[in-house]
Amino acid sequence: MPSRRRTLLKVIILGDSGVGKTSLMNQYVNKKFSNQYKATIGADFLTKEVQFEDRLFTLQIWDTAGQERFQSLGVAFYRGADCCVLVYDVNSMKSFDNLNNWREEFLIQASPSDPENFPFVLIGNKVDVDGGNSRVVSEKKAKAWCASKGNIPYFETSAKEGTNVEEAFQCIAKNALKSGEEEELYLPDTIDVGTSSQQRSSGCEC
Amino acid sequence: MSMEASELHDLSDDADYAASQQQGSASMMRCDSEKRSSSSEHEGAELIYLKDNVAIHPTQFASERISGRLKLTKQDSILFLSWIPYKGQTSNAKLSEKDRSLYTITAVPFTEVRSIRRHTPALGWQYVIVVLSSGLAFPPLYFYNGGVREFLALVKQHVYLARSGEDANVFLVNDFQSPLQRTLSSLELPSSLPVASGQSTYPLDGGSSSDSQGRTSAGVDNRVSQYVSRKQKSHDPTRDLSIHLLEKFSLVTKFARDTTTQLFSENNGFGSVDKRWNNQPVHSYSEKLTNIAEEKDNENHHSYPEKEHLNDEEINLVDVPADPLEFNKLSLVWGKPRQPPMGSKELTAFLDSEGRVVESKALRERVFYGGIEHQLRKEVWPFLLGYYAYDSTYAEREYLRSVKRMEYATLKQQWQSISPEQAKRFTKYRERKGLIDKDVVRTDRAFEYYEGDDNLNVNSMRDILLTYSFYNFDLGYCQGMSDYLSPILFVMGDESESFWCFVALMERLGPNFNRDQNGMHTQLFALSKLVELLDSPLHNYFKQNDCLNYFFCFRWILIQFKREFEYEKTMQLWEVLWTQYLTEHLHLYVCVAILKRCRSKIMGEQMDFDTLLKFINELSGHIDLDSTVRDAEALCICAGENGAASIPPGTPPSLPLDEGVLYPQDDDVL
Ligand SMILES: Nc1nc2c(ncn2[C@@H]2O[C@H](COP(=O)(O)OP(=O)(O)O)[C@@H](O)[C@H]2O)c(=O)[nH]1
Ligand SMILES: [Mg+2]
Repeated sequence: MPSRRRTLLKVIILGDSGVGKTSLMNQYVNKKFSNQYKATIGADFLTKEVQFEDRLFTLQIWDTAGQERFQSLGVAFYRGADCCVLVYDVNSMKSFDNLNNWREEFLIQASPSDPENFPFVLIGNKVDVDGGNSRVVSEKKAKAWCASKGNIPYFETSAKEGTNVEEAFQCIAKNALKSGEEEELYLPDTIDVGTSSQQRSSGCEC
Repeated sequence: MSMEASELHDLSDDADYAASQQQGSASMMRCDSEKRSSSSEHEGAELIYLKDNVAIHPTQFASERISGRLKLTKQDSILFLSWIPYKGQTSNAKLSEKDRSLYTITAVPFTEVRSIRRHTPALGWQYVIVVLSSGLAFPPLYFYNGGVREFLALVKQHVYLARSGEDANVFLVNDFQSPLQRTLSSLELPSSLPVASGQSTYPLDGGSSSDSQGRTSAGVDNRVSQYVSRKQKSHDPTRDLSIHLLEKFSLVTKFARDTTTQLFSENNGFGSVDKRWNNQPVHSYSEKLTNIAEEKDNENHHSYPEKEHLNDEEINLVDVPADPLEFNKLSLVWGKPRQPPMGSKELTAFLDSEGRVVESKALRERVFYGGIEHQLRKEVWPFLLGYYAYDSTYAEREYLRSVKRMEYATLKQQWQSISPEQAKRFTKYRERKGLIDKDVVRTDRAFEYYEGDDNLNVNSMRDILLTYSFYNFDLGYCQGMSDYLSPILFVMGDESESFWCFVALMERLGPNFNRDQNGMHTQLFALSKLVELLDSPLHNYFKQNDCLNYFFCFRWILIQFKREFEYEKTMQLWEVLWTQYLTEHLHLYVCVAILKRCRSKIMGEQMDFDTLLKFINELSGHIDLDSTVRDAEALCICAGENGAASIPPGTPPSLPLDEGVLYPQDDDVL
């Protein structure tokens, strides 16, 4: 009999202000895009039920303010995260250059038990802008960065048009689940760890 | 490694730091002589560690930082922590000795320390926060010269220090979870110290204890003696020391006691309230408060191993503890009924023939109790914000506007004259502009005034914010500012006038946006103290559920409820807050009022931090403004001087006491 037990998976979305974190989250959870989202103040989260191999999970997606000076709040919000999504805007080099800072800041503040293997997922957003003509960060460059950080899965999305958003979050949920599994050993009916660890090592495939 | 490098980088070009260094070395000599005298009273204590230039930042203003010396001493195998401010720092002249001794940490035994949290930001000063077993914490101790790691390493040599499983930056002190460790600890800990020597060896500033003498009621005396006998029984010297600590930092007991005393006193300064009090069963109120104080005391005697036990019980126990103020239902009616907004006839009556506001206090009172009709806001807001002087005439204001209009144009010219070529080489400008451009198009776009593509008002908002970021280059632009500007521009219409009103508002609230977030942390701290004072069961609930950082109120405070009420209501609330009529910090009482309205839901549903944050965020649009403001008023009056004392000096929007460096540059970003 399939277990109906729900488990909470906590996901943190980080990246510079304006790269589209709030839009991505809303596109994934509510399937809509609005030009009228306000700049995020403090923090908030949305939840979505996801199903894996007949088990239900609650994905709790945290959205925080992107400006540097609010980073000190992170401690309270990053705690207990199962996956961290880094977002940059493919039309902004600065937002890409800052990825290292975001990653490090997260590792410091969330201090996960196994920082080396903590799951990150990278999203390059706003690929729709100007039909891709104003793009300044190439896919190659982004993938090279992912490779240098231990094969972080990478997705290119448009929160506006909904392109690739579902796929990205499926991967995020899977990675969060894997990292959650390792800690929640008390769960009697774990999913097939064999396939999932295989997927992780293969980087961008999931 | 990178930490040290950035520390060097960070401090080398920091004027504040240089200043603190100078102060530090100058006062070191003084301290040396002081040390001799203190060593005599500190007989038998072995000095383990000494660190100069460790500072406390009681407020967000650089000029009010207090530098001092951090010491670890050991006596009878107990490690003690002390932090003594340097004496006679000239730049701190406005901090009285009393203020300073308030922050002094005198020989706190590590047996009373629960944990030490370290912050070693890549940019900015390293600091530690010492959290006591009681759950209370000392203000952050900033290590201007670095060395947090060494400090912790040294502590570790003397007490059992374990890294928290939840947070690698938290070090638990004497957290003996396994029975084996518990046994070890009993071997390490001293058996006893004579009580008398415990008290005389480590005299704590007498302020609080002598204060409370002579104005205690019989009940309190009784309680104190119980307290004394209880602690004598235990023969634990560290407990005795902790009493002083609790007196100092867990002021609730004292607050409660003072409040009780105040209720008995004839005149508490609020005429109309007095009458209500006299009609109320005052006795039950004071008894109740005494009981709360008692509970509080008892609770502080529990040490943390027992807390786990408590938590277990709570899982089944969803009884919500009563609101200490609520049994006196009528007490919540103290807030005067709101009046209709002030109209133009009334306003005219406040002005003399040349346009001066004759009695500014009366005007502020009127606005406090009812707000302003919309079309008059344009005229009144500049007074409330401090842009117009109350005693200025029509003509003087006319003149001021024209002068300020020219000044604004000049300021605006500063960035308008930046050519594309120059912009290429001006990263900071480009980044600021980028942030502002992104934010103005997501500020109140559903509100008619800012609706639609190519909206000119959105452009004005952008221009004002960019000009402000040049006018106040140190503070720059920070998210949340556009939320403040939006209603101001809507009310004032004119770009220059809006700019100057915004400048005046930022004089008060700019610290909300400080890079080190100190202004926010001070307010959140003050809020926690107010809740502790006005609803100790709720405070205890937050404490037990790890919610004492009050981050769930962050948005409320950062932009003063802008996202919580609809547009018109926000303007009403702001003009009430801006009057600073009862207090400068009414917004904190508004927070308490809202929390108190939800207290039974919060505690009844056993909300954890995440659930609470979500719950608070979703209150947006569901808060009734008028009754909340009345509650806030009532709470403010009820808290009286104890409320004011819970709010550290300089907590925004309190104005700075001098014209020092307002926005310390702790780092070099945006
Ligand atoms: N063209 C385009 N615009 C986007 C996209 N995602 C977000 N935006 C816009 O970028 C701005 C910032 O988005 P937001 O989600 O608030 O960013 P956040 O600060 O990272 O949360 C808003 O004006 C959005 O409308 C996208 O995929 N394509
Ligand atoms: Mg956002």
